[in-house]
Amino acid sequence: MIINSDGTKPIYVQIAEWLETEILNGNIQADEKMYSQYQLADIFNINPATAAKGISILANEAILYKKRGLGTFVSIDAKQIILTKRKDQTLKKLVKDLVVEAEHLNVSESELIQLIKDAGKNDEGDEE
Amino acid sequence: MNVIECKGLTKAYGRRQAIRNLSFTIEENKITGLIGRNGAGKTTLLKVIAGFFRKTSGEVHVFSYQPFNNLKVSANMIFIDDNITPPTALNLQELLESAASFYNNFDMELAKRLFDYFSFHPKQTHQSLSKGMKSTFNVIVGLAARCPLTIFDEPTTGMDSAVRRDFYRALLKDYIEHPRTIIISSHLLDEMDDMLEDILLMKEGQVLLHSSVLDLQEYAIAVSGNKQVISNWTKTKEVLYKKDIGVGNTYVVVRNELNELDKQQAHIEGLEISPVSIDDLSVHLTSNDKGGIDDVFTRD
Repeated sequence: MIINSDGTKPIYVQIAEWLETEILNGNIQADEKMYSQYQLADIFNINPATAAKGISILANEAILYKKRGLGTFVSIDAKQIILTKRKDQTLKKLVKDLVVEAEHLNVSESELIQLIKDAGKNDEGDEE
Repeated sequence: MNVIECKGLTKAYGRRQAIRNLSFTIEENKITGLIGRNGAGKTTLLKVIAGFFRKTSGEVHVFSYQPFNNLKVSANMIFIDDNITPPTALNLQELLESAASFYNNFDMELAKRLFDYFSFHPKQTHQSLSKGMKSTFNVIVGLAARCPLTIFDEPTTGMDSAVRRDFYRALLKDYIEHPRTIIISSHLLDEMDDMLEDILLMKEGQVLLHSSVLDLQEYAIAVSGNKQVISNWTKTKEVLYKKDIGVGNTYVVVRNELNELDKQQAHIEGLEISPVSIDDLSVHLTSNDKGGIDDVFTRD
């Protein structure tokens, strides 16, 4: 992943999301050690304090836990927490934006649902 | 620990006060960006901290010492700018060796590796280098010296963008391995804000803002859309910048005190919300009262 520096999302949020994706993909398993703030700073060419803030977001959400003197580790429930969070927050917000945009464009509810179905079909088509 | 402490610090040249009544502290092992318009007093401040200039009044302490003519400060501090004129009798190799003899922590291996990477030749002389190559050589010395206080005043003058990128990367990597207090003054904030921890913003000889980059990124927010809607919407807000776009549209930058509900409301009213980069923010905050450059061209 390349850090997107056009400013639409703070870097530390992007770091947190990147770490979440690493956990979801299984690249870092439960109870394994997470990247340190210095490793992240080096990977993404950012100040270690910014990287630390990304890590601390996940620690506050219990996706990571800290062991004194040893660093941060992935919680047992990390995957579940991330999935629930993305559904409840990210997906819901995207849908809300979608509905607002549809209203602006006078797209009816049934039209919108059809569009969503079509988008799903197209994705399946792409994979073949 | 605080590496730098200033309290009511003033430096005047004759009657003109280049910096006046400055108070701030810089903690150990942070990278701080010193930002401000031309003539804001950045270089004066840095040279007082470095002990090159004597303060006029107030207090300044570096490693708890008064920096002016202080050997302890000199030995633990390096000041890199684009006016360095080393002795003309020495070639680049000899300059590195003499720098190494001054600074206890000097890492000659790192200096040599950077020296080769940037294609310098040991027998070249400093005065024969181009502007960008001079700056590059100077920052090699500044990095390899590993001083507990490292000051870069406009270090990238004349460097092409590839070299600037390499310099930022080298600085960050060496900082991660050898944390130290670093101050960089620069006008190229967009290029290096990711690397900084704190920003010290100066205007007309005073500190306008001293804050973490993370906080500054959320300090302000830009809103654009229908002029009428915006003007209603900004009534209760602190406007930092305003520009009309076309006939019916306005772009404003306001202090970011919005919650999620405010943002949703703005979205429903058809307003477009976008973040404000620190570079733009610092331009808005340090602009003078004479309006913008557009006003120069407006004759009515």
